[in-house]
Amino acid sequence: MGASVIRRTIATPVFLSLLLVAFAVTAWAVGSRPFNQTIIDIFLQVIFVVGLWIFVGNSGVISFGHIAFACLGGYVAAWTTIKPMMKGNAMPGLPDWLMGMEIPFWAAAGLGAFWAALWALIFGLVLMRLSGIAASIATFAMLAMVNSIYSNWESVTAATSSVVGIPIVRTVWPYLIAAVLAVFVAWAFAISRHGLALRAARDEPTAAAASGVNISRMRLIAFVISAAVMGMGGTLYAHSIGVVTPDTFYLGLTFTTLSMLVVGGMGSLSGAVIGVLILSSLIQVLRWLEAGVQVGASTFALPGGVQEIALGVVMILILMFRPAGIMGNSELNLPNRRSDKAGQPAPTRVL
Amino acid sequence: MGQILQVVFDALSLGSLYALAALGIALIFGVMKLVNFAHGDVIAFSVFALLWPSVDAVAIIFAGNLPWFLLIPFVLAIGAGLSVLSEIVVFRRFRRANPATMMIASFALGFVIRYFLLMLFSSRPKSISLLPALSQPVEIFGARIPLLQLITILITMAVLIGLTAFLRRTRFGLEMRAAAENFTMARMLGVRANRVIMGAFALSGALAAAIALILGSQTGTANIMMGANVMLMAFIATVIGGMGSLAGAVLAGFLLGAIATVMQTILPPDARAFRDAFVYGAVILVLIFRPQGILSARGTKERV
Amino acid sequence: MKRLTAFLAATTCLSSPLMAQDDRIVVGFATAETGFMQAYDKPAQDSAMIRIAEINAAGGLLGKQIEVVNADTKTDRAEGAKAGLSVIDAGADMVVVSCDYDFGAPAALAAESSGLISFFLCAESIKAGIQGVGPNSFSASVLAAVQGATMAEWAYTKKEARTFYRLLDTWTEYNKGICDGFDWMMPQLADAKLVGEDTFLNEDASIAAQITRIKALPEEPDAIMLCTMMPGAVSAIKQLRAAGINSAILNGSGVDGSYWLSAVPDLSNFYVPVQGSIYGDDPNPDVTAFNAKYKEVTGGDPSTQYTYPGYVMIDVWAKAVERAGTTETAAVVAELEKMTAEPTLFGPRTFTPELHHQNQARYLIVETNAGKPAVVDEWTISAPIPVADLMK
Repeated sequence: MGASVIRRTIATPVFLSLLLVAFAVTAWAVGSRPFNQTIIDIFLQVIFVVGLWIFVGNSGVISFGHIAFACLGGYVAAWTTIKPMMKGNAMPGLPDWLMGMEIPFWAAAGLGAFWAALWALIFGLVLMRLSGIAASIATFAMLAMVNSIYSNWESVTAATSSVVGIPIVRTVWPYLIAAVLAVFVAWAFAISRHGLALRAARDEPTAAAASGVNISRMRLIAFVISAAVMGMGGTLYAHSIGVVTPDTFYLGLTFTTLSMLVVGGMGSLSGAVIGVLILSSLIQVLRWLEAGVQVGASTFALPGGVQEIALGVVMILILMFRPAGIMGNSELNLPNRRSDKAGQPAPTRVL
Repeated sequence: MGQILQVVFDALSLGSLYALAALGIALIFGVMKLVNFAHGDVIAFSVFALLWPSVDAVAIIFAGNLPWFLLIPFVLAIGAGLSVLSEIVVFRRFRRANPATMMIASFALGFVIRYFLLMLFSSRPKSISLLPALSQPVEIFGARIPLLQLITILITMAVLIGLTAFLRRTRFGLEMRAAAENFTMARMLGVRANRVIMGAFALSGALAAAIALILGSQTGTANIMMGANVMLMAFIATVIGGMGSLAGAVLAGFLLGAIATVMQTILPPDARAFRDAFVYGAVILVLIFRPQGILSARGTKERV
Repeated sequence: MKRLTAFLAATTCLSSPLMAQDDRIVVGFATAETGFMQAYDKPAQDSAMIRIAEINAAGGLLGKQIEVVNADTKTDRAEGAKAGLSVIDAGADMVVVSCDYDFGAPAALAAESSGLISFFLCAESIKAGIQGVGPNSFSASVLAAVQGATMAEWAYTKKEARTFYRLLDTWTEYNKGICDGFDWMMPQLADAKLVGEDTFLNEDASIAAQITRIKALPEEPDAIMLCTMMPGAVSAIKQLRAAGINSAILNGSGVDGSYWLSAVPDLSNFYVPVQGSIYGDDPNPDVTAFNAKYKEVTGGDPSTQYTYPGYVMIDVWAKAVERAGTTETAAVVAELEKMTAEPTLFGPRTFTPELHHQNQARYLIVETNAGKPAVVDEWTISAPIPVADLMK
């Protein structure tokens, strides 16, 4: 523990952050607004998937419920950043102090993280006693409950109606900073005492329990931290398009984020980030192909709808050949050094 | 009296749907620990099979016009066929993968099926007049219920009895139960894994097609998302029933149907919109008190 | 980096920003070409294209040909925002966004923040306009609340319905909008009585419990206000009739079309408000002529009345541009807001500085009798629904 662990592993978050910076610089250099928006989208996915990884990667419990925290965060943006007058129209049931509140987006993101973490603590106290598939289903039930409440609480969330008026932030930098922050939080948790204990419990539950690791408590800590990251992502998502609705934060996003995590490799933080970058890039390339590409004199275009089918097929193929995901359990790190798993091929070569 | 009976029928018919779907998921989970998220899309695919080979909004050219005694086997065969095909093409290669990987693979497969249907048929719901004679109401002990509701319940009962007999009385059924209980052990004792797994997929697919027929005649439409909701409830039923326990899955399916129906009946109007929140709250409660499920199967217990 | 830029420009067909050059008039469509919304956006967009072709054939707008740029929203909100930005960067003077408010809003917000007019193809929520997106946003359709109010008043007056039942599918804002209009109208109808209400969800596999509640009433209600949409609507209607409930069923325009009728054989006593008839019996022969033209261009008949608002949209916008003498946003918005009962092929349209939507409109009433839909009447609600009531 301590300085040596940090020194041994710091290369991973630094590499990942540099990768993200490279994406941001590309967006800035290209200067096209739709492309810029695409990169923002990718950063949001990175935040979500890294947030999910903090819990799933360390505890080994698949969570279907984390998007609920993004939903909680998204609505914090609606509650705290919309102009008070518009807020009164859309959500008349808000308490007065919230009604009058108008804070900048970064403060809202902090508040969103806090609000999500608070609810993660409350739900977690009950849910973290479960393990395995029962825990997965319980987290899904949590998502469904949050969705049902946010879809129907007319006066506070405007129910299924899109809430508009959230100030739109279209520069890529805040999203980059948040994504880098998420990566570092995830890394810090993973090398912390709690993170190590939780991974030990994941791999050897009986041994860990025997040596006095309180698994539910460790899981709870991971759950709360990951919820905070998801909450921040949810708030920023709202600011990226200026609209929130409950169904944005439901099954679709749940499966997208889980797929990216598993395809990247849920055993490693690098896998979480790389999964997003690879799948997002693939989606983008397929979309360009669908829109049509000039090849010599003729235009080549895929028929509409092929993009999703191709994406599904590619995902299945990746998992067939790399069942533990693209990164498996290895982290991006300096060559000739081993991260905590010995015997893995030098991971940088994977790229 | 009539009122209560009516509610009982409502709960039973909704529960039947969930139970049939849960059975389809539990069968596959039992033999290969795969939570098959493509199940809902197999349901949708089977419904759309009725429209083939036309993709037009109203024209039913071939399958949908078959007499019922040909139509039903046709649809069941489509469901079973697609399910077995997905085993051969995709899931066979995931036998040794961990459950999360398999689950995401099944989700990806479902995604492919769904978008394939979307590309062919577009998202506008298609109308199918499937077995219209079943839309007549009948009267039983003062409760007027649609004939279809009654038939759904009866079919489910018949399927359950048939399946129980099959699993208990035939060699194949015995192998399947043995495999569900302890796959490695069963293999060592000479159970042919591929055959059992294919059998489970075929049965599961046929069950999906049966749901497709019921949903199709009940709603009169084919739409790409029609299996999704039933699949989710079935998935939950499988877990709270005790993963791998077929009886538990069925029981939990009926339980969920009952909870949803009773909530809809007793909640005051303002709270009715929040019905699902109450239903899922109940799911969490069940899990807290019976984390292994209502009827837990041996061999699927988590160690910690 | 330059090569990358060139690659992107070539592949996305979005070369360097051509902001509102004076020699071009560009309409940008940020609509769904794939995914769930495609079935709703495509027909409306086709009819918009028909109007554009007509204008171009007649010499264009302000003497210039109208050009069109497209971007696919893929029925996704985040993609919608990108699509909006794409068409704006491609030089759009006016941005057409997805039919549904929820899916169109991100692109409309992008247009709004660039100071451009946005038009929802057929959104029926008041938020698709000043009250939600902002002062430069319009919708080409009629508010959902008007449909609910129209059906209530018409059934009360023409069908002598006195007892009503309200069945709401809480899935979307559109559904709630229909029931809101119904709720607004009910107290104005002397001795009309709401005998019960219930909710369900579009994807519910069965609405048996809701039907049981209706059947528990001492008397079958005269009319059921069914606030729902596809695909759940068919299922709900089929189950209502299968349970032997024969009350009149009143609906919003969302269930218009004959494509699903075979699912409920011999459906009768079923009423839908529409802006124009797709059944060839519109009182205005020009609508029937339009239907023929639509078939000629697209190869199929219009499948629902939601084909029509796209045509109305280009029609009113082009008139406003013609009157303003420019495509400049403020001038065109001002001209649009001057329109009072502006005649269009599908009924008069009014826009005001308070409301960029129709809170009163002429509707044709389509009755389905023994499985055959036909126009039986025409109705305009006696008073416009006040904006304050629409906002609550």
